Order: sequence, then C-alpha cells, then structure tokens
Amino acid sequence: MRALYTAATGMAAQELNVQVISNNIANMRTTGYKKQRAAFQDLIYDHVRRVGAQASDQGTIVPVGVDIGGGVKTVGTPRLMGQGTLSPTGNDLDVAIRGEGFFKIQVPDGTFAYTRDGSFMMDAQGRVVTAQGNPVQPTITIPQNSSQITISPQGQVTVVLPGSTTPTLVGQIGLTRFINKAGLNPIGDNLFTDTPASGTPQDGVANTDGFGDLQQANLEQANVEVVTEISDLIAAQRAYEMNAKVVSAADQMLQSTSNMFR
Amino acid sequence: MENTLLVGLSRQMTLERQMDVVANNVANINTNGFKADRSLFEEYLRSPAHEDNFMRADRRVSFVHDRATFHDFAAGPSEQTKNPLDVAIDGNAFLVVQTAAGERYTRDGGLQINNQGQLVTASGDPVLGTSGPIVFQPTDKAINIAPDGNITVLEGTGTTDSVRGKLRLVNFADPQKLVKEGGNLYSAGQGIAAQPDTTSRLRAGFVEKSNVNSVHEMSRMIEITRTYTQISALLQQQQDLHRTAVEKLADVPA
Repeated sequence: MRALYTAATGMAAQELNVQVISNNIANMRTTGYKKQRAAFQDLIYDHVRRVGAQASDQGTIVPVGVDIGGGVKTVGTPRLMGQGTLSPTGNDLDVAIRGEGFFKIQVPDGTFAYTRDGSFMMDAQGRVVTAQGNPVQPTITIPQNSSQITISPQGQVTVVLPGSTTPTLVGQIGLTRFINKAGLNPIGDNLFTDTPASGTPQDGVANTDGFGDLQQANLEQANVEVVTEISDLIAAQRAYEMNAKVVSAADQMLQSTSNMFR
Repeated sequence: MENTLLVGLSRQMTLERQMDVVANNVANINTNGFKADRSLFEEYLRSPAHEDNFMRADRRVSFVHDRATFHDFAAGPSEQTKNPLDVAIDGNAFLVVQTAAGERYTRDGGLQINNQGQLVTASGDPVLGTSGPIVFQPTDKAINIAPDGNITVLEGTGTTDSVRGKLRLVNFADPQKLVKEGGNLYSAGQGIAAQPDTTSRLRAGFVEKSNVNSVHEMSRMIEITRTYTQISALLQQQQDLHRTAVEKLADVPA
C-alpha cells in the first residue's frame, strides 16, 4: 500500500524539521548565528488518469485527472540572513556589523572563512583574532601599551600610543559580501566558507557601496526568535504524529485484508 | 455469482487509492504553497453476465471507481518569516518558474538568490518577471517586493529605489486542469494558456503554508479505514454464508 511509504516520507521530513529547529534553539545565544529553516516540496505524482485525456469515443475529455502523490522531500535548509539585534558589551574589540557583509578570517590552513561574530581579542603578538585565535584579515596589530582602541563605522582601527595624545591609525577591518549569502557553507565555530552557490567573495569597506557599518563595543545576537521556533516545533511534532497515524491506519487496512477468508 | 466479492473489492480498491491521496496531503502538511487533493468517486454499472436468453434481462450491478482527484485551491494560512525574499500570494495567482522542461507555476513563495544574483525557487529554478528572470546586482540591499510584484532595491550607497523587475503573476480559467508535477510545481496542459493576473496581491515577508486541514484529513482517514474494514467483514460474512450453504446442502442424511 502506497500510503505507508508516503507517510514514511512525511515522518522523515518532520524529523529533519525538528533537527533544524533544535539546532536553531541550541544556538539562540550564539553570537552572529543565522537561523535555518527546512523547505519542503511535494514528490512526483503518479498520473493514473491524466487530465485532458479522451474519456470516450465521442471525444469527451476528462475534466480532472487522477493524480496520486508520493509524499514529501526536503529541498533544502536555507539560512535566513536577517539582521540580529545588537547588544552593547562595553568591550573595545567587540564589533557588530549593522547591515551587509562578513568579517574575513584566516583559518589555520591558510584559506579564508567568513563570520558575523565580531567578538575579537588580541593574541600574544597583539594581532586582532577571533575567539579561536584566527587572525582577522587584513591583519591588524595593536602596538603594545597602546590605549583607547577605536573602531570607526568604516572599520578604521585607531589607538593612542604611549606618550602621545593623538590617535594613530593602525589598520582597517574589511568586510566581504556575497551575492547569495544564504549559499555559504557553515563549517562550525561561527564560520562560513564560500561555495559555488554563494558566488565569489567581494571585499570592500564598511559603510560604502552597500556594505553595513561597524558598531564598536557591540555584538550581534543570533536572529533566532524563540516563540517562532517553539511554534514551529509544535507544528513539526504534530505533523510527525499525524503521519504516524496514517502509517497505522494503512497498516490496519492491510491487516483487515490479510485476515479475510482465513 | 460472486458479485458481492467483486463489488466489495472495487470499493476497497478506491478506498486504498483515497488513502494514498490522504497520506500525500498529510505528508505535505508543512510544505509551503501545497494544495490538498480530494478524491471523487462514481458508480459504474456493469452487466454481470452476457446472457440475453433470460425472460428478464440481467440486472446490472453497480460498482464504484475513483473518477478523479481534484485540487483544493483554497488559500493556505500565511506565516510571517520576515525574510524580504518570501512572498505569499493573496488571490488566485501563481508565480511563473522557468524550468528545463518549460514554464511551470507555483504558489511556493520561499524564494532565494542564486550565485548569479537571479531570483530563484528553493530548487534553483529562476522565477520569472514580466521581462524574464529577475537579476540583482552584488551591491543591492534593502530588497523590497511591492504588493503588485514590483521589486526595488537600494543600490550601493544610493538612497533612491532602483527597479529590478516585476514578478509575473498568472492565473487560469480552470485551475483544475493544472497538473501537479512535484517540486511544488504545476504544469499547464496543451491549449491551456496562462493569463496575466491583475487582481492578486503579494505580501513580502510572508509565505503561504500548506492548506491541508489536519482535522479533515484525520477524520477522512478514520472514515476510510472503518469503511475498508467493514467491507472486509462483509466479504468475510459472505464467504461464511457460502461455506455454510455448501456444507448444509451437501449434507446428505444417512
């Protein structure tokens, strides 16, 4: 009986839906996290009788066909790249992007990764690095004993050197954007890498050419809305239950057939 | 002679197919823009034997078969996603999708941008505007889809809207003639022309959810299983009756 397999596709889809939702909830406090949602599509149909087929020798046309669908498939788990709320931290090296763009990070294998998580720190050499110690690109080194680190909305990093009263420019935090940022590949640690789907990375300067501006001493919160996630979770759970009911109903029908003429 | 059996089985076969339709509806309860299907049944009469020598003609026996499934095009509920690329259609219109097999139509407004900046469906097929695919520039931001389908953006640091196209909305004289192709797509048959739709409105930041009504589907499912098991019981009784008759009649007293 086809209904059994159809309902099984429904159960599998909802199971994946719950996985996506639970990952969103798990990351609701992750800086710069962008939520995902599962997108579903119906499977191909078995056209038992095609609409428009000839129904009789008199040329009558079937007005509606008999189409039996095969269930559901997951077509993707697109990421929603909407802005998360900014929350002030008071930490000079925390930077949030308000608008388009990603920070460019050099990962240990020498390649680049991209992130919206701007909770930067200084390493032993004074370089600005991520929480994992990966340097921000282009590399910015803060001289020893400097004070009053300022990051402008355009990304210019200025410090006041010892024995001086005027700020000195020590570097520039660049931003990178993608035409399809939802097509970036998440590699964990709040990092993404570019893919053929995302398009090539375009480097630029914050607050120009459509790039967002930088907000010092702020961090971007995850764009997960708990109420939405919970209501989606309930909907997914109910949908799973209903598909399970279809499985047991189909099973009941099969059982009554096999019990006939015993 | 075995008419009960055949009539019963004809009904059970239609019930099984109706169950398949219900199962597909339930499986797609979270599919954006999905429209539920319904089964229609009809009686068909058939003479049980081709024997015309009787005084009275044989009575014709009534069977059942499923005549059609039709699409329930009732609007599904809209869910707010706050994603500027999501559109829900208020009205009977469909979005036009360019696939390898030709133009297809969809109600699924969960749209994306691909690596070339084209507006595409979740499966990557371009969504068509009134003059072909809609393409965004790398520096575009603040994408806005107006209720009439006009798509505007802010270009770079610009402050005035730049138009990127207008989504093409179409409708059909008889949407029942649309064929579901899977992948949330419908195709129009031969000689069925898509007409430009002017009355429907788009709501950006929303998606239309599936219009499957879980209560209806569950009650329909219960009805199907009950009817199916009743027929099984009926056929069982008929079989018992035959067996008893054969035993009784063949029982020659000593």
